[in-house]
Amino acid sequence: MLEFVRRNRVVLTSGSLLLLSLLLLSSSSRTRQPHDPLARLVLEAMRPLQSTAAASVDALTRAWRTYVALIGVRQENEALRRRVLDLEQEAVRSAEIEQTDKRLEELLNFRSTLGGDVQAARIIGRDPLPWSGTMVISKGESDGVRKAMAVLSPFGVVGQTMATSAHAARVLLITDHNSGVDAVVQRTRARGIVEGGLDGGCVMKYLKRGEDVEVGDTIVTSGLDGVFPKGIMIGTVTRLTRGTRGLLQVAEVQPSVPLDRIEEVLVVRGGLASKDGAP
Amino acid sequence: MRAAFLFTVFAITALLVQTTVLPFTSIGRATPDLLLIMCVYLGLRQHSVAGAVGAFLLGYLQDAFSGSVVGLNAFGMCLVFIVVYMTSRRLWVDNTISKFVVVFLASVLKSAALLSLAALFMSVEGVGGTVLRYLLVEAVLAALLSPAVFAVLAQTQHLAVAEEE
Repeated sequence: MLEFVRRNRVVLTSGSLLLLSLLLLSSSSRTRQPHDPLARLVLEAMRPLQSTAAASVDALTRAWRTYVALIGVRQENEALRRRVLDLEQEAVRSAEIEQTDKRLEELLNFRSTLGGDVQAARIIGRDPLPWSGTMVISKGESDGVRKAMAVLSPFGVVGQTMATSAHAARVLLITDHNSGVDAVVQRTRARGIVEGGLDGGCVMKYLKRGEDVEVGDTIVTSGLDGVFPKGIMIGTVTRLTRGTRGLLQVAEVQPSVPLDRIEEVLVVRGGLASKDGAP
Repeated sequence: MRAAFLFTVFAITALLVQTTVLPFTSIGRATPDLLLIMCVYLGLRQHSVAGAVGAFLLGYLQDAFSGSVVGLNAFGMCLVFIVVYMTSRRLWVDNTISKFVVVFLASVLKSAALLSLAALFMSVEGVGGTVLRYLLVEAVLAALLSPAVFAVLAQTQHLAVAEEE
């Protein structure tokens, strides 16, 4: 008997413990008491350890979720930044289109006031040398543009064509020192020649000393040089120089056309009436 | 004695991990039962009264945290221990795959035992469906973790024996 118990002690112990478990189960389920006093003691003893472990896991979980959330926020931030850049570029494009529309509308209005045979052209190049005042436009001989044709903008005189190719033309600006435009003072009709100066402005030469010219006077084309129509604005007198001797006086003229900013021009191909309507 | 102490520490640690960390990595509501793996280890390696008592205490410890009636998991663990113990006396269970299979079957056995006891002693509706839904997943998860748990337990036992010697 003892030998049997000794040989099967593990099985017998397990069986006893199975019965004990059933008794515990039966007892606790009958009383509907989920934890017996010993279990409560174990639970209480484990509580600090479990609290610490749970807190650590919570901290790690929060850190991980924050990290994941930050990754999400970063990606969202990058997407929004790209979107902002796209919208900014779109806004710039829209503003550019609006500006172009405005300029072209002004050019069309100016063209309608001119009448006659004019050709709109885009400025495609500017002179790289600071002392030379020329620019290249997008129309040439194939568009009827020839040498010595007036080039205008809604603001006034730009210059005249000095060389042409099939699809482009070089324009000599009125600020170039080789340029000369027959002009009059609009208020007094005093006549002179507007030439380019080296400082980016113009000077009106060959004005008689006795002529009535004042700072602020408007200078317009006379129409006598056979290139520019009569009455197109050239600029405004900013300074007068009268020497103590001599028969002439010189007026410094600020061109009315912002030559460094314009982007479209009109080339007068001929048959143009005077701006003031005179024959 | 030292082995029993280390085993107890390991059991408490496993219980902490099981109740704090593993719920975050569970699939659905299925969480691997680390104490069950320890119970299987006892059944395979600890052919003694201490092994049987250890299995009972593991179940009792689990009951203390499960919120269920006392004796449910204790019974399940004792049943698993005795089945594994008797199996290991007749079959050679020493390679990884056989241990994997034993843990898987032990998990299924324990779940089935708990389900039966719950049906007998408790009148909670819907327990059967929940247990059945996650029974296989839990068994697979426990089996997957078993090599690592077995390795740690074997190392712990080896260290305890070496220090005692």
